[in-house]
Amino acid sequence: MLTCEAISEAAAKCLVKAGTTFRKDQFEAYRRAIETEKNENARWVLEKILENAKIARKKRYPLCDDTGIPHLFLEIGDRTMLPAGWLSAVHLGINRGLKVMPGRPMAVKGTVVERVEQSKGLFQDPGKVLPAPVTVKPTRGDKLRITVLLLGGGPEIRAKTYRIFHRRSMEGVLKEAADWARAEMSHLGCTPCTLAVGIGRSHAESSALMLEAMKEGRLDRQNPWERKLTAWLNETKVGPLGLGGSTTALGAFLKVGPLRASGVRIVTVRPCCCVEPRRATVALGNNQ
Amino acid sequence: MKGLRDRKDVIKVRTPVDEETIRHLKIGDRLEIEGVIYCGRDAVLPRIARLFEKNELGTINVHLKGAVIFHTAVSIAGIGPTSSNKVEIEESIPILSRAGVKIHLGKGALNSKSIKALKENNAIFAVTPPTSALFAAKTISQRLVAFKEEGMEAFYEINVTGFPAIVAIAHGKTLFAQPPS
Repeated sequence: MLTCEAISEAAAKCLVKAGTTFRKDQFEAYRRAIETEKNENARWVLEKILENAKIARKKRYPLCDDTGIPHLFLEIGDRTMLPAGWLSAVHLGINRGLKVMPGRPMAVKGTVVERVEQSKGLFQDPGKVLPAPVTVKPTRGDKLRITVLLLGGGPEIRAKTYRIFHRRSMEGVLKEAADWARAEMSHLGCTPCTLAVGIGRSHAESSALMLEAMKEGRLDRQNPWERKLTAWLNETKVGPLGLGGSTTALGAFLKVGPLRASGVRIVTVRPCCCVEPRRATVALGNNQ
Repeated sequence: MKGLRDRKDVIKVRTPVDEETIRHLKIGDRLEIEGVIYCGRDAVLPRIARLFEKNELGTINVHLKGAVIFHTAVSIAGIGPTSSNKVEIEESIPILSRAGVKIHLGKGALNSKSIKALKENNAIFAVTPPTSALFAAKTISQRLVAFKEEGMEAFYEINVTGFPAIVAIAHGKTLFAQPPS
């Protein structure tokens, strides 16, 4: 059976990898963008982001100083044997990972009002940055798969969850969602973005689906709707850092969940910044 | 003039920055900044602005004439631009420009009021990518200046070499594209 120590160690390593390492599809997306981008300043930004990713990978240094809020996506097989205290072990691993990476010490001290008003200062310990509520999903098999996603603050200012009247048109829903993002692009600052979109039955569900899109999406495997979302954003010519050019978005990740009989869809849109989605996954078997 | 064009596309700017250097910079210019730059963001910039308005900046030994202010946290995770259009940061830009800040360094488009204030005070806004690992290689030293209680949002100064940036707003002009309606 899995041990709590193995779970903690895996979660800690997973967090560090998520915060310091571009995936292969991210490296390739940036290389493609540098090849095709004609705006000199835009290309300079893309080259700097790529250079940063290489240094971060080599030195195990955070990709961005905003190391983000850990969001955990756990998939538990129907034959996975979990030890007592397994979820606490995941949280302990996140705490350890934040200390090792290190994460940015940005947890706010105090009571409810003091936290909201940020009047009692911050914890110096990066491990005090607690994970967001955990998403758990059942799967087949005997594995526990832990995915750590690190969500930065900039995209949170620009993200939106709201209703869209679908009028029986997928294109209409996505166009309206893209318009939300297009309005925010030049203010995001950290473009090129990857647009994460969740469509569900409630605000909570569509947000969870957006997170799942961030977990699964690949920049080298884009479906036609994702390509369309990307093209709509690139039409804005906002470009990297908002300086102009053709690379406003590297791609889009779309996840549609079960839907209710209604003329309304609840849609979450998050323009992930130029180092996101920062994610890593580890799979643990019953004998680890 | 302390801004020297050493290649067609890179201008070396040394702090403190003089008026003439700023007058010669234009949007799209690529900079490499050398010297001491201040770091502050949401929590501390309004406090710095209030001290200037009360003529009390001397109490924390801060001198903003010719200064560069980078909108960033400073922590063990490094440095990197935060959104300069967050209310507390953007509201501080006109006041700090009057106080002598010449380069505001951050990310994200600014509003027309900020663009106007920058022009009136011969100051500019430059942007830099969120490249913390790269910045670590460009940072020689760092020092806490004031407001330690704000943690990573305290007021710091860092000594940098070859710190990369692009001029995004200068003399009433902006590089920021507006999305089509």
